[in-house]
Amino acid sequence: MREILTMWRDTRMIMLVAVVAAVYAAVLIPFQTFQIIPGITSIRPANVFPVIFGIMFGPAAAWGSAIGNLIGDIFGGTFGPGSVGGFVGNFTFGLVGYKLWGNLTPLSSRVEPDFRENAGVQLGEYAIIAVAASAACAVIIAWVVDLLGLVPFAVLGPTILINNSIAAVVLGPPLLYLTYPRLKEMGLLYPDLLRAEDLSSAGSNLNPIAAWGLVVVPLVWLGVGFFLSTGAGAGLTSVTALGAVGIVVLAACTVIVGERLSTIVGRA
Amino acid sequence: MSATSLYVDRGTWIHRLDARSTLAFVLAIFVSGYIFDDPRFAAVPLVVAFVSLLAVGGWPNFKRLSPIVAALFVVGLIVWPLFTGPGGPTVIDVGPLVLSERELLFALGRSERIAVFIVGGLLFVTTTSNEEIVSGMRQIGIPFAFCFAVGTALRLFPTFIDAAGTVKQAQEARGLDLSDGNLIERLRSFVPLLVPVFMTAFRNVNTQSMALEARGFDTRRDRTFYGASSMGGVDWVVTVASLVVIVGVVGLRLAGYGTL
Repeated sequence: MREILTMWRDTRMIMLVAVVAAVYAAVLIPFQTFQIIPGITSIRPANVFPVIFGIMFGPAAAWGSAIGNLIGDIFGGTFGPGSVGGFVGNFTFGLVGYKLWGNLTPLSSRVEPDFRENAGVQLGEYAIIAVAASAACAVIIAWVVDLLGLVPFAVLGPTILINNSIAAVVLGPPLLYLTYPRLKEMGLLYPDLLRAEDLSSAGSNLNPIAAWGLVVVPLVWLGVGFFLSTGAGAGLTSVTALGAVGIVVLAACTVIVGERLSTIVGRA
Repeated sequence: MSATSLYVDRGTWIHRLDARSTLAFVLAIFVSGYIFDDPRFAAVPLVVAFVSLLAVGGWPNFKRLSPIVAALFVVGLIVWPLFTGPGGPTVIDVGPLVLSERELLFALGRSERIAVFIVGGLLFVTTTSNEEIVSGMRQIGIPFAFCFAVGTALRLFPTFIDAAGTVKQAQEARGLDLSDGNLIERLRSFVPLLVPVFMTAFRNVNTQSMALEARGFDTRRDRTFYGASSMGGVDWVVTVASLVVIVGVVGLRLAGYGTL
């Protein structure tokens, strides 16, 4: 996990953070497809970026997605206490893809995410990662917003999950197919930029369990949180406690899971 | 106010504040909005934030965002009664819609809280430029590398918005239709738009990094800011007053005021 901090020593990783943030914000604000609740929630094509950037740029995408969402809040006029949840949620949105690609044994394709080889298995692996990343983002944001007493967990959690998942699942494969080889050729993949000693090893016996934990924990958190949230009265306390447990377990899984792309591309 | 910024360049006293003092002021508004459930108490920070926003020339920003504020306010009113218990006399009884006084006040308080957060945040971005935000972040101790990334992203963001607009026009001239078809088809139609936008953005990462390093870019050394401001007398007064307000509203809440 130390690469989350040590990446800030590398100039190209810092520039990647800035560019990811700017691109995410630039597409997030003006482009929307379907308005679900006018003025509040819509399906945005930009929600594909944290997932595919996470797979390609690793920790730079996590920071970039968090900053990009913050910029979106500032320029979109929704900057406020809820932006803290948006920052952490989008950081996780970008981090999950980085941690999971190649780690979902036995369903993992164990090839580069360019959809040229073993495409069917890659599609399945990518869809699981996109939904897991969307769910992790959804539960964190919904938990913080519920804590702030703005929107109930049961309303916001499923809404964000659906919004993020649809855009990420539909747009991710064609975008990776078209851009991954070019970005690899430019030498911008994180295995090319981060020092080998900074990359977290995926050799631990706990690695597959923690990887699947990253998939299952947000979905269970969302499901249980939904039912607790809809039970009026004691719901608020229960959702708060559930979120506290959920975020600790999610963080523990994230720390245990090592990245796998560097092994796949032969850089480690 | 440009299309990509909500900052309004005026010379009001809030504009002249150091970014840290403005943040403390807005934080006091946020905490006051958060601490009370009773809409009569939550209305106070809302009025303060709104009047301050008007005083600093933020009306055009509010007008631009008013549909979002109104929509969130209404959604809060509709949703929150479903998530709280009834109490007190029934105040609305129309067909299936039965609302007790507590449910209504609770929902109104939550909707006001949403409005306080939006108007308070809007006050901050209306009076604080991008440069002041970045320099303020550094002054409160956030590492330089992070501040640099935020500053660079804020500078690149309008360029990429323009690039996205240009690519959209170019692709539409070639027959791309972003508004036709079902959800999946409409999302897929964004692929020819997104690829050029982000490939253009990433093409220059290597050269920009080399240019930075050629100029001695080093994130671990202490850096200076051209427009760095220092805390003056008024800044300290506002900061201390904001802290007093925060302590005061927490004390009021602990004493049982503003609850339902």
